[in-house]
Amino acid sequence: MSGSLNEVVFEARDVGKTFPGVKALEDVSIRLTKGSIHALLGENGAGKSTLIKIITGVYRPDGGELFLDGQPVHFSGARDAMAAGIGFVPQERNLIPRFSVGENIKLEVSGGNPFRPVNYTAMNVEAKRWLDLLGLDIDPATPVSQLSVAKMQLVEIAKALSQRSKVLLLDEPTASLSPHEADVLFGLLRKLAADGVSILFVSHKLEEVEAICDSVTVLRDGHNACESRPMAGLGRQDLVRLMIGRSEQIPNWAAREFSKAAPVLELKGVATALGHRNIDLSVRKGEIVGLYGLVGAGRTELAKSIMGAFPIVAGEMRLDGKPVTVTSVADAIHNHRLGYVSEDRKQEGLILIHSVIENAGITIWRRVAAALGLLTDGRVRAKTVPFINKLEVKTPSLNQIVGNLSGGNQQKISVAKWLAAGARLLIVDEPTVGIDIKTKAYLHQLLRDLSESGTPILLITSDMPEMITLADRIVVMNDYRITGELTNTRDYSAMSEGIMQLIHAAEAA
Amino acid sequence: MDRYLRADWFGPLVITVVAIIAIAAFNPSFLSPLNIQVLLLAIVINGLIAFSQMIIIAIGQMNLSVGAIGGLAAICFAGLMEVWGIPAPIAALIAAGIGLLGGLLNGFFIAWTGISAFVITLASLSIFKGLNLAITRAQPFYGVPESVKAFGNTTFFGPLPWLLIPGAIVFLATWYLLNRLPLGRRILAVGGNAHAAGLSGVSVPRTIMAAHAISGLLAALAGIALVARLQIGQPTIGDDWLILSFAAPVVGGAVLSGGHVSVAATILGVAIVAIITQALVLFHIDPFLVQVVLGGLILWAVGVNRWREVHMSKSLGRSST
Repeated sequence: MSGSLNEVVFEARDVGKTFPGVKALEDVSIRLTKGSIHALLGENGAGKSTLIKIITGVYRPDGGELFLDGQPVHFSGARDAMAAGIGFVPQERNLIPRFSVGENIKLEVSGGNPFRPVNYTAMNVEAKRWLDLLGLDIDPATPVSQLSVAKMQLVEIAKALSQRSKVLLLDEPTASLSPHEADVLFGLLRKLAADGVSILFVSHKLEEVEAICDSVTVLRDGHNACESRPMAGLGRQDLVRLMIGRSEQIPNWAAREFSKAAPVLELKGVATALGHRNIDLSVRKGEIVGLYGLVGAGRTELAKSIMGAFPIVAGEMRLDGKPVTVTSVADAIHNHRLGYVSEDRKQEGLILIHSVIENAGITIWRRVAAALGLLTDGRVRAKTVPFINKLEVKTPSLNQIVGNLSGGNQQKISVAKWLAAGARLLIVDEPTVGIDIKTKAYLHQLLRDLSESGTPILLITSDMPEMITLADRIVVMNDYRITGELTNTRDYSAMSEGIMQLIHAAEAA
Repeated sequence: MDRYLRADWFGPLVITVVAIIAIAAFNPSFLSPLNIQVLLLAIVINGLIAFSQMIIIAIGQMNLSVGAIGGLAAICFAGLMEVWGIPAPIAALIAAGIGLLGGLLNGFFIAWTGISAFVITLASLSIFKGLNLAITRAQPFYGVPESVKAFGNTTFFGPLPWLLIPGAIVFLATWYLLNRLPLGRRILAVGGNAHAAGLSGVSVPRTIMAAHAISGLLAALAGIALVARLQIGQPTIGDDWLILSFAAPVVGGAVLSGGHVSVAATILGVAIVAIITQALVLFHIDPFLVQVVLGGLILWAVGVNRWREVHMSKSLGRSST
């Protein structure tokens, strides 16, 4: 093998990217050297995903240059970047569900002639080699749709590996892996790095970054907070300071006592059609209960079952002490006054091509409609404007199209619509994904204030600091079951350790 | 056993066999050579129509212009032979090329504008049909050579129509395309998850164009076969294809959001439609009811598919981790 290990394989120099109304990246640089595992860190909204999309050829930068092996390169698309040797394991599921594991791994790698028959036998043999390398005991002929989320993730990694990439980008690769699977993955990444692959590792879990990365680039608000710096000498607190521009600060909110408060929502031995079993959960008046778990633990699914989107098949659900059966989401909203702020505000929370007022008012149309179901703008405005103002939504007008607002303002509107609906319980699912730090703190204050005024909140978040900031009590879920609960002491390291133990206790058992 | 129950072709096969036995028991003339010939002809032509739509369903879109492309190709085929006396094989090639081009244009506009296939093919439906009427002035071409008429109406080995041969070749080729050729796998990959396919290096726009080109080609082949069968170049060819083109793939378990179609089950879906149509004739039931029955069949098939999906995801569940 020629060249030293310090040889720069890939470099982005002063790249910038502007979207209508948002400067996502400005003068950002990163250098990946041969055989190195390089961490890319940054808060949500710091520009990580934009940078990844530039490196993988999905976006073209507005300014700056990319170099591969010292030569300037311009990628006209994902295909181009891949052909140049940049492998990518995206965060979202990226497999064809009906295709076999083997075909997913080898999809398009053969490329070229669209009329040369596919050799499935050779494909499976080749795929098996990569699966074996990852220690995965999966028959390559299995359809991907039959795999667990964790296995799918590993198949994606096998797929990226099989492309023999010079540069391998992994976006949150451990989000759905068990600690054991993650360890296997790390061993493999080290081996790949030793073979000369340069790896860009994107993760929110600083423990992982400290464990396997040797250099780091941090983005903050679309700029380099540090660029391609060795990890040596950097501690967790240093990384956090680089990421958020100050030390990790948890608002010093007083612990609250709820044992005497009346429960608003109670689940007793609940099982759902989606596979939850023996769910016991209570949320008391004014309380914020956090639901923590890894991706695929069934938290969002539980929230949606409470909202009536999926049937509860056993056990009992009580609202304000009375047993209820929620038959549909409409029933949950109009008759039981439950509110749900979706994790996926673009897909489920908001109608992006509609105006602010239409989005904020959608939950109350039924209530404010006059005779004959006639809906007047005035009535909707009267009910929603106070909340839009209260949340300080920054919008030029109520008729502004929601899709044109920033993520934070969009999220405020999806909260505002439930306030307008007068929800008696608010389920908030990943409220600050993709939202800048300032707005995030603001939304935290807002949720805290809401709970102070008596509205109980069931909070689902994968953001550990957020969970520890907000929740009064943290309930841990794993594999569609509740594995334990903790009263939040707001001691970050003790709490995160306790939570992780509860998650993994179930797996060890 | 469970494996067979899960296969898309199993249900339609059972229905086909049961329907044949039941109808033959009530009315033995159902299995007369003439009737078998009529049935097979219907299956060949309707199969081409259904495949034309199936390819587009596979990629997760719909093609409303299947009938208009087929109709345009049909009258071009007949017109080229009548007006310019072009030999049948060359006229057929040109007509097939027109279908391919029509489909390619659909695909091009869908891929490069990003506008939904529904809208693009709705517009092109009108354009292709308009061209058809402008060329024919709504009058049929009658000058179809005897050789073509014979090909569409004579049989070999008793009741087997000659059209069955090209039909069978196309059906096998389509199966081969979707199951063995990278192009077909790309079509299904784009239908299954276009984003993932793109990130895997599949050119999504090119694949969309290829699928529409194939769809246009298959529609044209159906139009050409129908000219041979009807013995005239009717400008109305294709007007009533739309419902049928969706019915058979759906009965065959196709997922309308894309990524999954079954060639064998689609053929069986075509057979079921043909058998039901034929049975209504044999039992002297109002032929206008065919449409009603077809609509009911689509609803029923969609219901069964939905049930199967739910049932399957339950039985696989999260247990298979």
